[in-house]
Amino acid sequence: MRIRTVALLLILFGMFGVLSLTYAQNAPEASEKGKQVYENSCAHCHGTEGRGDGSAAENLLPKPRDFTRGLYKIRSTGTGELPTDQDLFDIITEGMPGSSMPPWDTALSANDRWEVVAYIKTFYDGFKEAETPPKQINLSGKVPYSEQSVETGKALYTELGCVECHGNIGRGDGTSAPDLTDEWGFQSWPANLTQGWNFRGGADTEDIFKRFVGGLAGSAMPAFEGDSFPGFGLTAEESSRMIELDNKDEMTEAEEEESAQLYEKYDAAVDIALNLAEGTELSAEEKQIYDDAMKVVYEKSWHLANYVKSLMPEKRPEPAIGNNVLRSQYIHGELPEMDNAAWETLEARYFPLVGQIVIEPRQFNPTIDAVNVKSYYNDTEVAFLFVWDDRTHTTDETDEETGKTLEDALAVQFPAKVPQGPTAPKPYFLWGGRLPVYLWHWKASAPEQVTELTAKGVNNAEVQEAQGELKAQATYTEGQYKLWVKRALKTEDKKDLQLDPGVFVPIAFSAWDGANGDVDTKRVMTSWYTFVLEPVPSSKRFIYPPVIALLSVGFLFGLRAFVQRRNSEE
Amino acid sequence: MKSYLLATLTVLLACCYIGTVFAADSDAGEMEMLVFPEAYKAMKVGNGGTISGVVKFEGDVPEKKALEITKDKQVCGADEKFDESLVVGEGNALKNTIVYLIDISTGKDFDKDAKVEIDQKGCKFTPHVQIVPVGERLTMLNSDKIMHNVHIFSKINKSVNKAQPKARRKMPLKAVKKAEGPVEVKCDVHGWMSAWISYVPHPYFAVTNEKGEFTLEDVPAGEYKLGYWHEACGTNSKAPVAVTVEAGGTITQNFTLKLK
Ligand SMILES: [Cu+2]
Repeated sequence: MRIRTVALLLILFGMFGVLSLTYAQNAPEASEKGKQVYENSCAHCHGTEGRGDGSAAENLLPKPRDFTRGLYKIRSTGTGELPTDQDLFDIITEGMPGSSMPPWDTALSANDRWEVVAYIKTFYDGFKEAETPPKQINLSGKVPYSEQSVETGKALYTELGCVECHGNIGRGDGTSAPDLTDEWGFQSWPANLTQGWNFRGGADTEDIFKRFVGGLAGSAMPAFEGDSFPGFGLTAEESSRMIELDNKDEMTEAEEEESAQLYEKYDAAVDIALNLAEGTELSAEEKQIYDDAMKVVYEKSWHLANYVKSLMPEKRPEPAIGNNVLRSQYIHGELPEMDNAAWETLEARYFPLVGQIVIEPRQFNPTIDAVNVKSYYNDTEVAFLFVWDDRTHTTDETDEETGKTLEDALAVQFPAKVPQGPTAPKPYFLWGGRLPVYLWHWKASAPEQVTELTAKGVNNAEVQEAQGELKAQATYTEGQYKLWVKRALKTEDKKDLQLDPGVFVPIAFSAWDGANGDVDTKRVMTSWYTFVLEPVPSSKRFIYPPVIALLSVGFLFGLRAFVQRRNSEE
Repeated sequence: MKSYLLATLTVLLACCYIGTVFAADSDAGEMEMLVFPEAYKAMKVGNGGTISGVVKFEGDVPEKKALEITKDKQVCGADEKFDESLVVGEGNALKNTIVYLIDISTGKDFDKDAKVEIDQKGCKFTPHVQIVPVGERLTMLNSDKIMHNVHIFSKINKSVNKAQPKARRKMPLKAVKKAEGPVEVKCDVHGWMSAWISYVPHPYFAVTNEKGEFTLEDVPAGEYKLGYWHEACGTNSKAPVAVTVEAGGTITQNFTLKLK
């Protein structure tokens, strides 16, 4: 009897489970609780009415989501579809990297997050009016990652026009990049596809596929679903033939007929896709045509996703701390110039940059991710190679608000005097204070020049009188700056930092993206890191110090012996 | 723990930099929109009347603003392009004004053979203002053989942002269900490209030509409110013109518009 009850209960629960799965929406009904959580945790940015106009919204870019239009960038659903409850829950839980939206996985209980999902849905009537659950993008046909798939994806990347915004090799530096805005009129930079860790919705191949197919609603990123592909409804061979014929200056009669036939097939498939999107029931035959067409298109989309995945490292590089401290490598003879292949044998150190928000003007919306640094030195000089991504090459632009000249720039900061020991105080990280800092300031408008400064604070920086001790070369290609700087280890100038092998020297960076409005303290920067001229034990120059030490010890012994003898003589 | 801190920090930061709350300008927004009847029933119209007229611009005609062509110069910059938000022709004729009946509830059906198209040619949308019947597909043509993306900033219907790669010559878009407009059409690839469309529930909409002329035909006899919309001059939605149409008759109604 008891067993039967349990079995019955299990069946009932099972059915319940199936029932709730058929409408894959898991948020509870909107409640007072959801409103409360929303108003405590979300309204500051998103506004009490959900318009994305909370009191803190002004300074933020990307702007907090406006919930009243039902437009969500990060969805598992197709273009024009609402997100699923799970999509909303995931965004709240994981946050949006590269924006001000933090992850709420520990600040709010899962229950509270579901309540918030239910509540934000009340800001847009479309959720209530929807008769069917949103259509999710089918991920079942995933094409595994392979070199060949990446090759195919690469060709599509150009053919479909991704380069226009994301640039030739994906650094977000396409020719349309500086002019993009979202539907609210705010600047919206295309993703740098080589920095997956900054992707708002994750950088797994599946995530990339979903963003590509479904678009980022409300942004400039269009959807490439179904009939966006030239030759939808044709096989891969047929569609390349169609394009080939299109590009002919003149067609023979036979070719014209061939082209017309291909177009007919293509138009018919597009018509079916639109019918389906408009809610028309498809016949079995039409359904087959549609499914076949989507299979071709989705296969292409997976190739594209694989290509994009190939552009980024597997994970974000580790910052240059601990074992990753920046170590300048000793080299015999001439230091390599900027283009020398010797640089490729060194692994770069990664210095993540963050927006400066301590003093006005602040940068809440940084565009430069990090600066990557390598260094060599020889007996007399040290050379650095600084590499950083910037979507635009800006040398002379005027800030509309302040009238100031905007340009791209980089500054390398050292203490004016190396602190004696690891616990000795360092200068204030933001261009010094009581303790001064020594700076190298490079600007894109004068790429072969680095200015030396001494600063005791951001508003107290002085160009040093003695200049010209530094050599510099710089290039900007495909959304990336490369800056090469060389200086003598020892200089005559008392204000310069003097460098010795084996001594740990604090180092910090500031960078400016002119096109992002960076100027003065509105910039991205690091706090103090460490840099050292890596001593080479086998090298002759490092034999001298121990020899000198031995000699000195010997001398001391000798001295003692001498004194002792004299004493004993007395 | 880390994310908790981050969350708290963000909110704290948010509190510290209390900015001004955006003023709601929904009122101003509504004034810019067309007004549609609650319901519309199509029927056969026999011996209808005609409303025609000329729309003129009043005031100093601003100098034509040349558009800055920043990319694809070979295709887009072959000829000089001008901002089309205000196109004033000979005799101050005002092009691209929508003139329409606000309160018609029965009348003729749409002309099913009429092509509802916008071409992207020389990185410019032609026409600049297009009427799209609700339930019909707008077809985007791409005469340029370069990449465009069709971005329609709808608010009542779902906004559309669809890539039109270079090999995509003709791209029909999904029909919408709700009347709305005008809404802007943009191309993100070429930031200067701009057009306006209106999804309309009945066929009594006209767009003025370069002579500023418009004609509404087959209007069932009766009294109506006549409205207009112009991108730079706004609407008369708050004070539309009352007209009386007689069976088989023709009435003339001219408008003179100023910059809003
Ligand atoms: Cu375009």
